[in-house]
Amino acid sequence: MGVTILTQFNTENRSGPQNIEILSKRILALGATQQGQFLVDCETYTSVPQLGHQRTVHVLHNSEQPATVFSLLETGAKTIPLATDGLFDLLMMKMSHFYTSKKQTKSESKGPRYEIGDFCVKLGTVTVSSNFKGVLVEVEYRPCVVPAMCWDLLKEFLQGFLGLSGPTTPPTYLQNRMQENYSPIDTIHQYLEHFTMFRKSPGIGMRP
Amino acid sequence: MERDIEQLNSALSAIKVLRSNVRNVFDSVSNGLRADHGDEGKESKFVHELQELLTTVNNNLRDVENAVSNLTPPPGAFSLGNTTYLSQETTQERQALYGQLVNSYKWTDKIREYSAVAGNILAANSFNKTYKTFSTTKRRKTQTSNHNVPPEVIENLITSIDRLFPDVTFTTNRPLVPNPVIQVSLGRVLKAIIAFKGLMIEWVAVKAHAESNDLWAESRYKVFRKVTENCHAAMCHFHSPMMPELAVRSFMHWFHSYNTLFSAPCKRCGNHLHTTLPPTWRDLRTLEPYHEECK
Repeated sequence: MGVTILTQFNTENRSGPQNIEILSKRILALGATQQGQFLVDCETYTSVPQLGHQRTVHVLHNSEQPATVFSLLETGAKTIPLATDGLFDLLMMKMSHFYTSKKQTKSESKGPRYEIGDFCVKLGTVTVSSNFKGVLVEVEYRPCVVPAMCWDLLKEFLQGFLGLSGPTTPPTYLQNRMQENYSPIDTIHQYLEHFTMFRKSPGIGMRP
Repeated sequence: MERDIEQLNSALSAIKVLRSNVRNVFDSVSNGLRADHGDEGKESKFVHELQELLTTVNNNLRDVENAVSNLTPPPGAFSLGNTTYLSQETTQERQALYGQLVNSYKWTDKIREYSAVAGNILAANSFNKTYKTFSTTKRRKTQTSNHNVPPEVIENLITSIDRLFPDVTFTTNRPLVPNPVIQVSLGRVLKAIIAFKGLMIEWVAVKAHAESNDLWAESRYKVFRKVTENCHAAMCHFHSPMMPELAVRSFMHWFHSYNTLFSAPCKRCGNHLHTTLPPTWRDLRTLEPYHEECK
């Protein structure tokens, strides 16, 4: 598990499949090989009013860690992350009286997964309740676990393949955690950050 | 001994002559009457020729018998040691091994002979004049065997290097008592498993922290496989049998420069990546980072 940077790719009036195709061509031209598909999904549950102060639970799955269910509990003041095994999904079903899922917010990012050298690149088409929202590019540099050490290297890689629309600063979630050891939950945090942004901005939604 | 061999040789050559003359007899018999026997009395000529040939064979046979009777029979059976088992070898390609074995035995025998002569000559012209200026303690230091050193010496060396670099941690274990295998963690960047042979570095394997400590398995990451390769090159470069401690120290000093493996750009091209690899080479003297292709 290495450092992962998640970034939005500017759609420039192209449709989702077109964007994915352009990026696939670029990454294949760099010498990457496709290694299957990936899927990250997120479902959001909110507590019923009887429980008092409203709390939100985001439940996420990542195909890179298929046996794990990630959940992030927002209490308002802070966010509590939790990594559990697959049974957590069933537990959430049992608690459906207290935590109800908002069907309109079910988001996912899926698409092809490429490997190039020690990098792993995933080109995800983001849909929120099956409406196309945009393109998310995930780049993982697997040998390194400290974001501060390999940020410049990742930036160079991203700019080499996304061009000018590559990021110039680390993701906001990572900015305070540059010296810490990276773990899969950090990727989940980044995905949630982006999913939340996509949900809030229905304007950019385009048909796939 | 010398006489025995001489006699053996003469017996062998007598047999050779006998064999060649017997062959002549058979040649002549198989050819029968020839044109050069002429027309008149050709049968008697042929018989005469045959008689002459048989007389020579008879003489030769007598020579052989004489030569053989001069030989002294060996006392009892020869002891061939383990090589006797070679005769029981069934595979075809190994049956020739005995000949090779004899050749190599002769070769080593010659080496022993020559080195004994060389040793005598060198002892007569003493080369060790220069060493005589050293004090005895110093000389003992340089003469220590580097393969077979007491474990404490290696232990001291490792702890002294450990003290030298605060961001490097060393863990030692000893699968074979005099030869430790140490695990060197370089910050949070990488770890190396280094096997020692006495005071000399024998093998290096570079891996990610999450990977196993197996000395022989390669890292799953390209970058660490490349660094392993470069470490082997550096290990050979710094290797010095006369000053093994210095070699280990310089190697560790060089190795320490990998703590910027992911963060330092290449000195030549200024980029981080080249063929999706960071600068994996560190200059042996200046410790500056370079890509494999840029150095």
